[in-house]
Amino acid sequence: MTINIPYDEAIRRYRPLAERALPCTADPGEDLLQRYHPDYIADRCIQLTVGANAGDPCHRQLADVLQSDSRIDEADLAASPEVETDVLVIGGGGAGCSAALEAARAGARVILATKLRLGDSNTVMAEGGIQASIEKDDTPQMHYDDTVKGASGQIDRTLAAQMVTDGPDVIRWLIQQGMQFDLDQYGDLLTRRAGGTSAPRVLYFRDYTGLEMMRVLREAVFNSDVEVWDYCPAVELLSDQSGHCAGAVLSSLKDYTYSLVKAKSVIVATGGIGRLHLNGFPTSNHFGAVGDGLVLAYRLGAKLRDLDTFQYHPTGLAHPHHLGGTLITEGVRSAGAYLLNAASERFIDELRPRDHVAAAIIRECAEGRGVDAGHGQSGVWLDTPSIELRSPGIMEQRFPKLLHLGIKSGIDPRQQPMLIYPTLHYQNGGVIINRQGASTVPGLYCVGEVCGGVHGRNRLMGNSLLEIISFGRRAGTTAAKRVHGAGMRQKKVSLEHLRAFRRELMLAKMPLTQQSPLLFPEYAKFEKDSDYDGLRRNTRVADDG
Amino acid sequence: MTEAAKKLINLRINGKDISAPESLSVIQALWYAGYPRVKGVGCLQGVCGSCRVFVRRADSNEVSTELGCELLIEEGMDVSFLIYPIPPYQTYSLEEIPNSWEVQAKFHEIFPEAAQCRHCGGCTTTCPKDIDVEKGVELAVKGRFQEAGELFVQCVMCNLCQTACPELITPNHVALFSRRVTAYFHTRPSNLIHRLEKMRKGQLQVIE
Ligand SMILES: Cc1cc2nc3c(=O)[nH]c(=O)nc-3n(C[C@H](O)[C@H](O)[C@H](O)COP(=O)(O)OP(=O)(O)OC[C@H]3O[C@@H](n4cnc5c(N)ncnc54)[C@H](O)[C@@H]3O)c2cc1C
Ligand code: SF4
Ligand code: SF4
Ligand code: FES
Repeated sequence: MTINIPYDEAIRRYRPLAERALPCTADPGEDLLQRYHPDYIADRCIQLTVGANAGDPCHRQLADVLQSDSRIDEADLAASPEVETDVLVIGGGGAGCSAALEAARAGARVILATKLRLGDSNTVMAEGGIQASIEKDDTPQMHYDDTVKGASGQIDRTLAAQMVTDGPDVIRWLIQQGMQFDLDQYGDLLTRRAGGTSAPRVLYFRDYTGLEMMRVLREAVFNSDVEVWDYCPAVELLSDQSGHCAGAVLSSLKDYTYSLVKAKSVIVATGGIGRLHLNGFPTSNHFGAVGDGLVLAYRLGAKLRDLDTFQYHPTGLAHPHHLGGTLITEGVRSAGAYLLNAASERFIDELRPRDHVAAAIIRECAEGRGVDAGHGQSGVWLDTPSIELRSPGIMEQRFPKLLHLGIKSGIDPRQQPMLIYPTLHYQNGGVIINRQGASTVPGLYCVGEVCGGVHGRNRLMGNSLLEIISFGRRAGTTAAKRVHGAGMRQKKVSLEHLRAFRRELMLAKMPLTQQSPLLFPEYAKFEKDSDYDGLRRNTRVADDG
Repeated sequence: MTEAAKKLINLRINGKDISAPESLSVIQALWYAGYPRVKGVGCLQGVCGSCRVFVRRADSNEVSTELGCELLIEEGMDVSFLIYPIPPYQTYSLEEIPNSWEVQAKFHEIFPEAAQCRHCGGCTTTCPKDIDVEKGVELAVKGRFQEAGELFVQCVMCNLCQTACPELITPNHVALFSRRVTAYFHTRPSNLIHRLEKMRKGQLQVIE
């Protein structure tokens, strides 16, 4: 066991300084990632044995939910009411809302179902900003090149090119929905750099970019013709005779019943998987981020990609405990804040790609140069006082959310550094889509974090908010158009695809001991909550009392 | 610090007596004590506005409203969760406002109650983000939308102010309207507009 310096002692040793040089010994070395990044932990991956990705590597914990049995079967459907619509959107984050708004605008009847409150999502928590090439010395081509470079090669180039091309228009669309951005004295959009960008390209609203985006989109949806079903997690997709997607089974947390929603197109926008706490990491993600969309799409036969790579954001709060994992935006490092070990030394160039910075922090802690925060948690300093010393007032002006987080933590980040450790942040891979957001299953569209390909194996800050609106709008429009396509008469819906999937599981001798989607992290004890007795229990959850 | 973390705090949440380590939030304490909790949980980071709670602290009769995910437990606290936040009462679309001259009239059409504000301060007291909500409503009623909106940068749309208002004003939606019209009518960044124009002309193609 490595022993790090206890928190109280380390904070006594810390002195605020405006400038600190990067020691030349801080060269990360070739094998930094291999040795310290959680994506390289031995045994963390297995090969999938059933489904469209059989044979592909996948994180063990994700494989568990992908290769699980359904929560429901045909019997649950018999008594459930049926509703019909043109487009069903599943997920109420930025991707889902923009898809729903555009589908409704194109004239489709739209139902938007979301697990919890509309807007409870990863989107609302985004801080740093959104990328779009709008400055004179920047071009979409540079944005594209940076995205491809940051992705370590294995990127879907068509998707990336589409996303960067959509960038400026996405910003206009957001402003037209009523979203504010930080502007300079002439009313121009302020931009800043982020790790891996060759020009200032990140647009933002304080460190509340996602909050501002989400409250505006939520309000826009509430004020549109979209019918919102909140507190209604989807538990399964429906298929028609040809195996195409034909709707979904929703469970209501308000009246504890199932409903069948038949739809001509379904758009899955369920976001990420942080709350699976891969490799035991804390997470920056919202409560409902447990990979449901991946499970639903996979069972219906959709092909996924890059299931073995995840983004660990370098700066998650490591102290105090009750806010552990909470994100501190990369914007703080962009503004020049240092990372310091317990001896107050810098140990990596703070603006290197996220995977490198995260690995370097893990290394410092693993080798005893970190700070021990108790609860088995260690970390290093994010030297916020350094930027305040260089530009007094910057914290209040640019990072009100961080200041608020500081108050809640009993720490004034203007005077005291924050203790941080990498936090599980983003699912790089996901459902394979084309430029319109269509998955490999007809009738099924997927947009947002649930998808893969756009960022390859590593995402640049600010590209995700761009992705969700760019492809959200595209999928919404396309899904609405499809409604009037040939042969779109309402078909018979069933759970036929489940039977096939179960057969595969059994043939592969999979244990069938688990059911998914999980809907909530295990510690919320949803399956044991007597409030939800009307819904089918996940009977196979171990009853540990 | 590790020693202190082991200290147990006794409190009551939703009528249940609970002991939990002092480093936990109200939501975490419930989970820790073995009670399920799904309703009213969201981002767990103070930005989604789902986890609204009433709190009465030991030795006090005052009840305050806070966000359960940000609230550290304290000895003798009595906490109860509120039900789901409700959607707004009114609907409007920005596109139906023909130009910025008409915003004020439209505002009073959409939010006729706002002018009835009796300055009771209920909304401001209830706001867990310490926003001067009452002031915001007052500014919006006067047509000073940009200033009104500025006050609500940290608003998480928890709807507590809406629930508190005796005049059935929805201060948070008044504020959001104010913010949205400001962007919709007044955000015209020349750097963005230049770029859009260039792209419209087909310059700046991306080569894969
Ligand atoms: C703390 C934080 C900070 C970030 N900062 C940035 C940033 O600065 N810039 C950037 O570009 N990106 C950032 N990201 C990433 C970005 O915010 C997300 O990747 C993006 O918002 C995902 O959007 P989404 O709509 O795909 O998913 P989400 O916004 O997560 O929405 C998914 C929705 O689906 C719902 N859902 C889930 N399962 C079901 C189900 N079974 N049935 C029905 N509904 C379901 C969820 O409840 C949720 O409402 C950040 C992420 C986090 C967590
Ligand atoms: S202004 Fe109203 S909705 Fe916004 S945070 Fe305060 S109480 Fe909640
Ligand atoms: S609660 Fe309603 S009436 Fe009272 S000050 Fe606020 S807006 Fe005005
Ligand atoms: S859970 Fe989102 S504000 Fe508390």
